[in-house]
Amino acid sequence: MTLESRIPTGPLHEKWDRHRFELKLVNPANKKKFNIIVVGTGLAGAAAAATLGELGYNVKNFCIQDSPRRAHSIAAQGGINAAKNYANDGDSIWRLFYDTVKGGDFRAREANVYRLAQLSVNIIDQCVAQGVPFAREYGGLLDNRSFGGAQVSRTFYAKGQTGQQLLLGAYSSLMRQVNTGKVEIYPRREMLDVVIVDGRARGIIVRNLVTGELESWSADAVVLATGGYGNAYYLSTNAMSSNVTAAYRCYKKGAYFANPCFTQIHPTCIPVHGTYQSKLTLMSESLRNDGRVWVPKEPGDKRAPEQIPDSERDYYLERKYPSFGNLVPRDVASRNAKEQCDMGKGVGETGLAVYLDFADAIARDGREAISAKYGNLFEMYEKITGEDPYETPMKIYPAVHYTMGGLWVDYNLMTTIDGLFSLGESNFSDHGANRLGASALMQGLADGYFIIPYTIGGYLAGSKLPAVDNSASEFKEAEEKIRSQVDKLLSIRGKRTVADFHRALGKILWDYCGIAKDEQSLHKAKQMIAELRDEFWKNVNVPGDAADLNQALENAGRVADFMEFGELMVNDAIDRKESCGCHFNTAFQTEDHEALRDDENFCHVSAWQYTGPESDPVLHTEPLTFENVELTQRSYK
Amino acid sequence: MNWFVENISTALGKKLLMAVTGLGFVGFIFVHLAGNLSFYFGKEAFLTYVETLHKLDPVIVVVELLLLLLAIIHVTTGAVLFFQNLRARSTRYAVNKTAGGRTIGSITMPYTGFLILLFVILHLSQFHFIDRAQMTPYDAAVNTFSNIWFSLIYIAAVILVGIHIRHGFWSLFQSLGLNHEKYMPLIRTLGIAFAVAVAVGFAFVPIYIRAVT
Amino acid sequence: MSSRTINLTLKVWRQNKNNPAGALETYPANDISTDMSFLEMLDVVNEGLTEQGIEPIAFDHDCREGICGMCGAVVNGRAHGHMPETTLCQLHMRHFKDGDTIVIEPWRARAFPVLKDLVVDRSAMDKIIQAGGYISINAGGAQDGNSIPVPRDNAETAFNAAACIGCGACVAACPNASAMLFTGAKISHLCLLPQGKPEAKKRALSMVRAMDELGFGNCSNEAECEAECPKGISITEIARMNREFIKAAFS
Ligand SMILES: Cc1cc2nc3c(=O)[nH]c(=O)nc-3n(C[C@H](O)[C@H](O)[C@H](O)COP(=O)(O)OP(=O)(O)OC[C@H]3O[C@@H](n4cnc5c(N)ncnc54)[C@H](O)[C@@H]3O)c2cc1C
Ligand code: HEM
Ligand code: HEM
Ligand code: SF4
Ligand code: F3S
Ligand code: FES
Repeated sequence: MTLESRIPTGPLHEKWDRHRFELKLVNPANKKKFNIIVVGTGLAGAAAAATLGELGYNVKNFCIQDSPRRAHSIAAQGGINAAKNYANDGDSIWRLFYDTVKGGDFRAREANVYRLAQLSVNIIDQCVAQGVPFAREYGGLLDNRSFGGAQVSRTFYAKGQTGQQLLLGAYSSLMRQVNTGKVEIYPRREMLDVVIVDGRARGIIVRNLVTGELESWSADAVVLATGGYGNAYYLSTNAMSSNVTAAYRCYKKGAYFANPCFTQIHPTCIPVHGTYQSKLTLMSESLRNDGRVWVPKEPGDKRAPEQIPDSERDYYLERKYPSFGNLVPRDVASRNAKEQCDMGKGVGETGLAVYLDFADAIARDGREAISAKYGNLFEMYEKITGEDPYETPMKIYPAVHYTMGGLWVDYNLMTTIDGLFSLGESNFSDHGANRLGASALMQGLADGYFIIPYTIGGYLAGSKLPAVDNSASEFKEAEEKIRSQVDKLLSIRGKRTVADFHRALGKILWDYCGIAKDEQSLHKAKQMIAELRDEFWKNVNVPGDAADLNQALENAGRVADFMEFGELMVNDAIDRKESCGCHFNTAFQTEDHEALRDDENFCHVSAWQYTGPESDPVLHTEPLTFENVELTQRSYK
Repeated sequence: MNWFVENISTALGKKLLMAVTGLGFVGFIFVHLAGNLSFYFGKEAFLTYVETLHKLDPVIVVVELLLLLLAIIHVTTGAVLFFQNLRARSTRYAVNKTAGGRTIGSITMPYTGFLILLFVILHLSQFHFIDRAQMTPYDAAVNTFSNIWFSLIYIAAVILVGIHIRHGFWSLFQSLGLNHEKYMPLIRTLGIAFAVAVAVGFAFVPIYIRAVT
Repeated sequence: MSSRTINLTLKVWRQNKNNPAGALETYPANDISTDMSFLEMLDVVNEGLTEQGIEPIAFDHDCREGICGMCGAVVNGRAHGHMPETTLCQLHMRHFKDGDTIVIEPWRARAFPVLKDLVVDRSAMDKIIQAGGYISINAGGAQDGNSIPVPRDNAETAFNAAACIGCGACVAACPNASAMLFTGAKISHLCLLPQGKPEAKKRALSMVRAMDELGFGNCSNEAECEAECPKGISITEIARMNREFIKAAFS
């Protein structure tokens, strides 16, 4: 099978318009005859489900949490980009497009990114109309700020809770459709398989997380918006239930998985305290505007920060990158922090942290000014760590944050399985090898509100879809397979808990397939994962029974998939013999320790095809062509 | 009228009924307290007050009927709310602590209310349903309060009324939607002042009467 | 801050299909680092229980950073524990003392049936929103975001109300198991913005009615909700809802 990206022809800025015109339409009277399943209620899923309901389709919307409003999108803090140019500072659709392609280190499709930039404008309008309380200026108009090192102020925000407010906007539209009866919601359900009938996705199997029952749901198309898989690393900034299961099981049914090794690691998170730690909390990047990053010059210096005189501190970012200083991009900051800690200069009890010091900023601007800017972040930090950042420097460390990889989709957001679409973080589409701040929210909403409603119509109108219901044998078979896996997990009753295995897997991935990779350790990781997986299936202890609310069982299923998927990440990392964006292979770097791309050989999307439990996956590549931008090497010196 | 019944029987409708009737009571208690102050100026003063009042007889009758109506609404709605609220939490907590929102007044509203109801019945039987040819209201007061137990019951009851008002006063503004951060502190202070004035003002009547007779 | 470890005794509500009546069970929680969050403490206890062959305690959680609203339990009689404006996942063990006994119960309200242990069914809150907690606008029909200015104060007040995470602590803490703070916050958020005005009347009436039908209690202005709300939502939002309701019901 060849990868058909279905990118429309014609000039970049006309592609989407032309494509919309060329897509077949579903007759309004016929829409009510189509059933669509949407899995996930994050920005992408909720927006899609609500919009498809508005159009008249019958939608069933599933999520793991007890309410659609709790999807992980709720946690996004910083903001959402849009090329509104309200600030009149030179922004444009073209500039947002260009920044995104460049930010992704030229590993994303031009056409997709351009469409995203075009739609960004409509997203803001839609959200304002829904009542999203964006920050405003005194004149009553929308306020913008510059985010993540962008040169223009194009980020819309609602205090530090942008994701929450956007999701509640989408959720409210969704609830409105539930009220009209066009959408039915099924919370506390976990999708465990996609069902394929005659080569098309025609339904899903979910486990009812309250009763433990397996339920089969049939439909004319399935839309997956199940978020990212950062939790493969055990510790990440993602919510606890974030998983790869839904996407991975689609992969096993024939959907290609693209760029699984592209993981973004965020430099400013609260460091790990101990082995019991369950998740990492992101501290806004904006802190680096005023905080100075340092470590002691001497490895192993265990003095309290106040006792280390200035002359014995190493402000390594300022030293190495004099022009950008503490504001170097995420990946550069992360990599350097790890490097310092690897040299034994890390601080705190674990030695896995660097200082982010506000003393100079407070001395310069006064406590008031700093508190006005960062007050709530400082409070959050104090709540978690019990330390007061006004008095003693913050400790920060990088943490897994976002996964650019995901199911491969064409321009219509359809995977390699006909009728199976993937939106939001669960697809690979728009961010290339690195995502810019404030653009994941934008992508999720663009996919959900403005892309899938058109492209799914084109699919439904253009396909022959014989009636299928959930009594079809394909559903029974899928259920049977899941049931036997569940029974297997419950029957092992070994010695190690699920969390224990998850921690072990996370450590392997973090150590060998994290901030910086090299071929040798990747191979080692591959081996270690295989061994761990073997032990998992012999020695895991999953208590309780299947026909019940059983959180250990839920986790066991997810960890089992992470164990297989982790190997896919490693395979992809081994295969990509270059450094690009967040993928940093130490063998490929410039003299300044910048990621060194190999555009000759790796200017492509890597899409992996599952071939069975015993055989290695097969790689397919989609070449990326850049007609509108010039490939450049970035430099932050 | 259907829409009215429908809206007034919602949770907020009932809350509104409590607030409006409560407000009526607040007004009545205010006037009643003011009237009773004339006790402190002696029998003559008091009886002049009663006479002037009774010159308005037809109005008084209307006011009395209105009060009765308010009482019926306040009591029945209060009772309905009380039982609905009990039912809304089928299983109780093993440990229950306040976070600081509740006050003695708010916790005891239904109980103080119920005791006030008993008191009012007693009070009316002693002061209102009397043979006015035989006995002036002043005599009724002297009669009642010469009994130490009745005096104590009255004093206790008016303290309960004070406690009920302590919460009820600000609460009725909140129920009517009149909570504004600029004015609420004032309303709360007024409520407490009024509650104290009611408790003290009424409580001294029996003491004073016992002292002068 | 250097971390210490403490030993605790937990009394946890256990309820499942084999024990539908439920009861408090006592478990030791030893060597708990004071840097742990409350949920991490439960994780550790659960790992121990699993190793002993006892089913772990079921509790809801997801983001573990105080924003999704999924977590929550009544800890020693206080919803989300005793720290102000803190969700259970953000409550840290440094606020407990060595030797403490901690009683952990699920949210209790007729409208929130217990599913298992500390897990309750809060779908009633979604149903309140379904009754009108939205602005009726279809994707695609919106005008330019800056075409309607919103006074900054209004936008901020609306934001403060919209900050509700739907955790249900207000219901759990209310002596009457009333959902007024939650509902008031949503009605306030929408009625404060020009976009929300056209539907304000219908919204107030139907959301209040939904609240009644779902079995929540009435409000007697106890203000416990406000004191426990992890997002600091104020009962002025309830007052605003009352105002909206009065306008809607009698005009
Ligand atoms: C702490 C943090 C801060 C962030 N800040 C920003 C920011 O400022 N700006 C920005 O642009 N981006 C930010 N991001 C990234 C952004 O929040 C996410 O990429 C985005 O919200 C993902 O949305 P989504 O709709 O794709 O998926 P999610 O919101 O993750 O939703 C996934 C949905 O799928 C459901 N689901 C998952 N698996 C299954 C299954 N197996 N069965 C059934 N249902 C399932 C879940 O229940 C959920 O409803 C941040 C991320 C984090 C972690
Ligand atoms: C006759 C006996 C009375 C009974 C049984 C009674 C009962 C109650 C009850 C149960 C409540 C709480 C309602 C709720 O919010 O759930 C209440 C509130 C109130 N009561 Fe009374 N009460 C009585 C007399 C009075 C009197 C004499 C006053 C006069 C001052 C009064 C003033 C109020 C006020 C102002 C409220 C608050 C209303 C609100 O919250 O909106 N009540 N009453
Ligand atoms: C020590 C305190 C009090 C004294 C001395 C007192 C005295 C009186 C007197 C003399 C009357 C008769 C007036 C008349 O019919 O001409 C009266 C009536 C009445 N009192 Fe009081 N009162 C006291 C406290 C209260 C309190 C606390 C309440 C309410 C909670 C109350 C409620 C009433 C009512 C409802 C009437 C009947 C009013 C009417 O008929 O119009 N009283 N009281
Ligand atoms: S109002 Fe506060 S306590 Fe109630 S659900 Fe919202 S956030 Fe939770
Ligand atoms: S605690 Fe309950 S009584 Fe009202 S003010 Fe809050 S809902
Ligand atoms: S787990 Fe999300 S708020 Fe506590």
